[in-house]
Amino acid sequence: MKNLLNFLIKYSVVFLFLVLEIISLSMVFNNKDYQKSVFLSSSNSMVSTLYEWNNSIVEFFKLRAANDNLSEENTALKNQVILLQNELATLQPSDTDSIHFRIPPEMEYKFIPAKVINSSTNKLQNYITLNKGASDGIKPDMGVVSDEGVVGIVKTVSNRFAVVIPVLNPKIQVSCKFKNSNYNGSLLWSGQDYRYSNLTDIARHVKLALGDTLITSGLTSTFPAGIPVGCIEDFNIKESDAYYNIKVKLAVNFRTLLHVKVINYLNYNEQKELEKIPEE
Amino acid sequence: MALFIQNIVRFVLLVLFQVLVLNNIEFLGLVNPYLYILFIITLPVRLPNWVSILLSFGTGLLIDTFSNTHGMHAFAAVLIAFLRSGIIDLFITIEEGNNPSPTFYTFGMNAYIKYVVLMILIYHIAFFTLEAFSFTHLWILMIKIILSSLVTFILIMGLQTIKSK
Repeated sequence: MKNLLNFLIKYSVVFLFLVLEIISLSMVFNNKDYQKSVFLSSSNSMVSTLYEWNNSIVEFFKLRAANDNLSEENTALKNQVILLQNELATLQPSDTDSIHFRIPPEMEYKFIPAKVINSSTNKLQNYITLNKGASDGIKPDMGVVSDEGVVGIVKTVSNRFAVVIPVLNPKIQVSCKFKNSNYNGSLLWSGQDYRYSNLTDIARHVKLALGDTLITSGLTSTFPAGIPVGCIEDFNIKESDAYYNIKVKLAVNFRTLLHVKVINYLNYNEQKELEKIPEE
Repeated sequence: MALFIQNIVRFVLLVLFQVLVLNNIEFLGLVNPYLYILFIITLPVRLPNWVSILLSFGTGLLIDTFSNTHGMHAFAAVLIAFLRSGIIDLFITIEEGNNPSPTFYTFGMNAYIKYVVLMILIYHIAFFTLEAFSFTHLWILMIKIILSSLVTFILIMGLQTIKSK
């Protein structure tokens, strides 16, 4: 007994070291329980407050680019308004039966504007923190887009902040399709360059061209169809492969990302519940 | 007491600088120096091992919280804190009764550089390997480790020369 005690005392530092290393490692590998560990991530309110404060300074230097972006979007929207107005003017008002009038379910989206207060692009697993949270109606699994295209999916939400997994993280795959041919595949980041990602699951027989535009497929409840994802930068296929190896230039520049919109799909619960039934 | 306050101030400044400035350096997407380990490197030599290990664990966890890395920094920080006294003994013999904090002055140029380089390398190797958790992109991993370590080393040397003036 005494020997055992002596042994323990003699090597107490080694034990402490081992225990702490095991705790760290278990944290690294258990972060699937991400919801529980909000405390240790940047949606923790103290951490987020510090980042928000820091961001208010950094934001000032990005105003110019943000302005350019906004005015560009503005003109595009104005053009669209004029186009739609013309179209409306040419159509005679038909008698719509107001009782049977419904917004089609795939159109029932609302956007929640939010600001990026922390983000990384150089890690293997990148995360983005937003300054809006549960109190603004954000829930896990909502899609996040910017004016340029798809950003990512909300992962954790605290009362005032939300952590987003961007497409620059191999943990998520975004289902997308070609604008001109409707073939769909999933987008998976390889962890090397924040400007590029890879498209998988495109079979050999599909005809591709450099510069083809990719949009979201709308096959998941997270993103509506038609949001730009990127365009083909490069592709190749080996003699023995069934699927293309496609390099995609992402539409969003994650380095300058500042203003994003969170997509609130209003029929999310209904669709999820309905889809759950056949599985049982 | 002065030593105590000095270490706390150093801790706060290094963590803030790490989180607000260095974590945003994304040069070529490869360089991400972790200067905050200077806090662990500069802890007094005679500080009991278990104290420095616990302090490093806390510091690593704090940096983890800020960068969403979940225990990776804590792992690497505890590792270098554990090896610290061994590495110091490797390069220099501290006289009985002395309790210097490792700097240019106390260690001498030669021993200090060896000590710092070894600590930085161990830290960056542990952290980036744990982050990648595979050797599939071995070249990228090695370039990341070498460049980030180099930048951290230059920053530490720069800070030391500023302080000694």
